[in-house]
Amino acid sequence: MKLDFSIVFPYLPMFFKGAKATIEASILAILIGLAIGTIVGVGRVIPLKPINFIAWLYVYVIRGTPLLVQLFMIYFGLPSIGVELEAFTAGVIGLGINSGGYVAEIVRGGIEAVPKGQLEAAKVLGLSYIQTMWHIVLPQAIRNMLPALGNEFITLVKESSLLSTLAITELTMVGQQVRSVTFASFEVFIVVALIYLVITTAVSTLVRYIERKWQVR
Amino acid sequence: METLRAVNVSKSYGKLQVLKGINLSVKKGEVLSIIGPSGSGKSTLLRCLCGLESIDSGEIYINDEPLIADRFSHRHLATKIGMIFQSFNLFPHMTSLENVMLAPMKVKGLSKRKAEKLAKELLIRVGLGDKINYRPSQLSGGQQQRVAIARALAMQPDIMLFDEPTSALDPELVGEVLEVIAQLAKEGMTMIIVTHEMLFAKEISNRVIFMDEGSIIEEGSPQEIFVNPSNPRTRAFLRRLLPHFGSSLIEGEKENEVRL
Ligand SMILES: Nc1ncnc2c1ncn2[C@@H]1O[C@H](COP(=O)(O)OP(=O)(O)O)[C@@H](O)[C@H]1O
Ligand SMILES: [Mg+2]
Repeated sequence: MKLDFSIVFPYLPMFFKGAKATIEASILAILIGLAIGTIVGVGRVIPLKPINFIAWLYVYVIRGTPLLVQLFMIYFGLPSIGVELEAFTAGVIGLGINSGGYVAEIVRGGIEAVPKGQLEAAKVLGLSYIQTMWHIVLPQAIRNMLPALGNEFITLVKESSLLSTLAITELTMVGQQVRSVTFASFEVFIVVALIYLVITTAVSTLVRYIERKWQVR
Repeated sequence: METLRAVNVSKSYGKLQVLKGINLSVKKGEVLSIIGPSGSGKSTLLRCLCGLESIDSGEIYINDEPLIADRFSHRHLATKIGMIFQSFNLFPHMTSLENVMLAPMKVKGLSKRKAEKLAKELLIRVGLGDKINYRPSQLSGGQQQRVAIARALAMQPDIMLFDEPTSALDPELVGEVLEVIAQLAKEGMTMIIVTHEMLFAKEISNRVIFMDEGSIIEEGSPQEIFVNPSNPRTRAFLRRLLPHFGSSLIEGEKENEVRL
């Protein structure tokens, strides 16, 4: 059997629409994940035991349960307590909450990599804990974190394919739709995979660019 | 008036008692050096004096006010005590100028313009007027330590504590840092210096303390400690550190040759 990609061509606009949804969902989820991850990651290291515990619990639960189950809980589960979300919204929130757990660990690692001596110097200079975090720890932590964050963003883009299970017409969903009318399964998913590859390559290129720009001169 | 006074200060890490009832005081304008073998508790003592470590018992007074260490903020101590660490601890993502400006702006509330002016003056004072826009990674160890000194001075502390300020430096860079410290002493800064630079300590100090195993073994003038120590442990320590101890070098006859 030969592969015939010409069957797929008429559907390219659909693929691009799906890719657009994938990119939109990923960007929104990354932003949510960064916000949650920063708060939770800082919560892991601040000298307040109850907060440490809550942050630890968040990471523990998020990383210990499947993303798919988390998505189902938000989309299918929340309506039973009166919270009904559109599929796309539920999917983005679910991805973001999930990514937040992983980003939190990256943030924690980045913070802990800042030498203790600097914190002591800041303390003796009279800077408050929050000032030290903001002016000294986080700017350095972000640089430490960038490579790991880049990996996390790429993972997130790939995992966004699970949104197809919520009937969101993102890239993978489009692939299934086109397959069901063309029956060209292999060709369709090769195209889908190539588009994912383009997106993830763009992400890693962007992260590397930022890394280089932010390097301590 | 005593700028700093420690009364019967003790401190343990777990079972290990690192400070065993330390008593010391420093008058305004006085330079006190602390010498002693490594592991004797010198760093721990300085860290207690500046509030970085809590003490188990005893009292510390600064300008006759009890030192209260707050877990979250040293705002109230920052204008009283400056601390210089062996490892500089500069903020690597900031230039020299930004390193020095940060605390005056954020802690004392100086305007950016005023903080910058102050920082420039101080950097010039430590001989780094041409390095204000350099980052720590672009500076030598000696230059980094001088930035750290300028940074501490920017809070205009009543007393400066130095914990082996030159121990992490290549030998050829020690002099420039000691010069800055000596200059500060001459200008009347109150200081406690932990150092292994015995000749420097001898020249600069009003008083010297020899510490061993968490206790002050001997205290006296530089002459008393370096030339005629009464305690055998002090003698043994100095003999190990100064090959010429007991001979003419330390007695100052050849002082011109060993001047810094
Ligand atoms: N944070 C710590 N936890 C446990 N032991 C410590 C700690 N800091 C210092 N010590 C111990 O306390 C003793 C004194 O250390 P230190 O004050 O650094 O001595 P020095 O500065 O005179 O070399 C050493 O035995 C050291 O191992
Ligand atoms: Mg020490």
